[in-house]
Amino acid sequence: MSKIAEVKAMVEAGKAKLVPGLVQEALDAGNAAGDILEGMIESMGVVGDKFSSGELFVPEMLMAAKAMSKGVEVLKPHLTGDSAKSLGTCVIGTVAGDLHDIGKNLVAMMLESVGFTIVDLGVDVSAEKFVNAAKDNANVKLVACSGLLTTTMPAMKETVNLLKSSGLSGVKVIVGGAPVSQEMADMIGADGFAADAGGAAVKAKELVSA
Amino acid sequence: MILIGEKINGAIPSVAKAIAAKDADYIRNLAKVQTEAGVDYLDVCASVDNDVELETMKWLIDLVQEVSDVPISIDSPNAHIIAEAIKYCNKPGLINSVSMEGDKIDLIFPLIADTKWECVALLNDDTGIPQDAEKRLEVFATIMDKAKQYNIVPKRLHIDPLVQMLCTSEDGILAIMDVMREIKKQYPQIHITGGASNISFNLPVRRLVNQAFIVMAMSAGMDSAIIDPTKEDLMGMIFATEALLGQDEYCMEYIGAYREGKFGVKK
Repeated sequence: MSKIAEVKAMVEAGKAKLVPGLVQEALDAGNAAGDILEGMIESMGVVGDKFSSGELFVPEMLMAAKAMSKGVEVLKPHLTGDSAKSLGTCVIGTVAGDLHDIGKNLVAMMLESVGFTIVDLGVDVSAEKFVNAAKDNANVKLVACSGLLTTTMPAMKETVNLLKSSGLSGVKVIVGGAPVSQEMADMIGADGFAADAGGAAVKAKELVSA
Repeated sequence: MILIGEKINGAIPSVAKAIAAKDADYIRNLAKVQTEAGVDYLDVCASVDNDVELETMKWLIDLVQEVSDVPISIDSPNAHIIAEAIKYCNKPGLINSVSMEGDKIDLIFPLIADTKWECVALLNDDTGIPQDAEKRLEVFATIMDKAKQYNIVPKRLHIDPLVQMLCTSEDGILAIMDVMREIKKQYPQIHITGGASNISFNLPVRRLVNQAFIVMAMSAGMDSAIIDPTKEDLMGMIFATEALLGQDEYCMEYIGAYREGKFGVKK
């Protein structure tokens, strides 16, 4: 098994104590930091799929994300060149009326891993608060809105509308959460959608580099 | 939770039959299934006449050690038998048990003083089982004096407060829970143990009483128990309670035990 494959397996298994050592070994074996990171993001994609299909429980997904972030800590000083360049700031939060934060936290962790500076507004965040945070923080490239409740989908729509009509330039909006789909994202005018944390990281990079 | 597998006990009729018939495979299998269920100690109790207890004990311990690396819990009411049986064990295990009755402690504590053996201590003395919490704590204090004298640190002790049957108890296990809490307060490192099935004696659907007991006892500080680890519901209840008590970060132990098929629907 290649070192990257070992890293991936341990990220999927949520072994936060083992991943940093394996990442170091993978680096020592001559693997590029970017490739190791890609591998871990792929693993989170697999974890996300297994969670969606009911094979994994929430804590197992959290442990996997934790394992990955431990690995990223080792990787950070080595992420030179393109991949180390900050992708900008991402403002993230759960929309008004919704107090769920597990998915939002996972996505925040993933986005931070791939190079975003995170401004986490927490839960029950009003549309105005999202807009203000996007204006007040430096270099905001992305706003990520999370929602788990079907009943808060109107709040998500309102948030996207306000962000889009507030004259912010160069800020993309990504949405996600159990009731959110690509169709719905298109309908409310969001720039992107992802079904899980791994997908969010990939999509977010794509959005800000477009 | 420290789990002590109770299935190899001559007081259980089927085991008594196997001992009488020298059915080695039966005993080996009991050791195997409990090992697979993840116990920390395998209790071995011969429960035969005095004159053959030691040889029976040796036969049982040898069989268990043939198939399992789990440490032995030497279970005998006779401290002299225990003292001899220690020699048959490949590695330090658990003494089950001593109390302030007779010279049990004075015989056993010096023997295990400089070893890694752990020891169950019952809160009774020559006058029998104390009827109230206060008297049990008095017995506990004398046991701890002895432990100090022989330099046995609290974390090597498993205190059994002696839970009596619920059907004749006047206050359920309230007094026992007070005893457990007080002991843990005095010595946070000490273990509190007990049989999980005595409580339900002579009641219908005993498993419900046993499960409710383990939940309450664990919340009062019990962290060791003599149980049948092949009882899935009980195992699930123990893992669930540990998680509820905040002793299982992210419920990973609970989920892990489930994944290993220790309880719940097997995949």
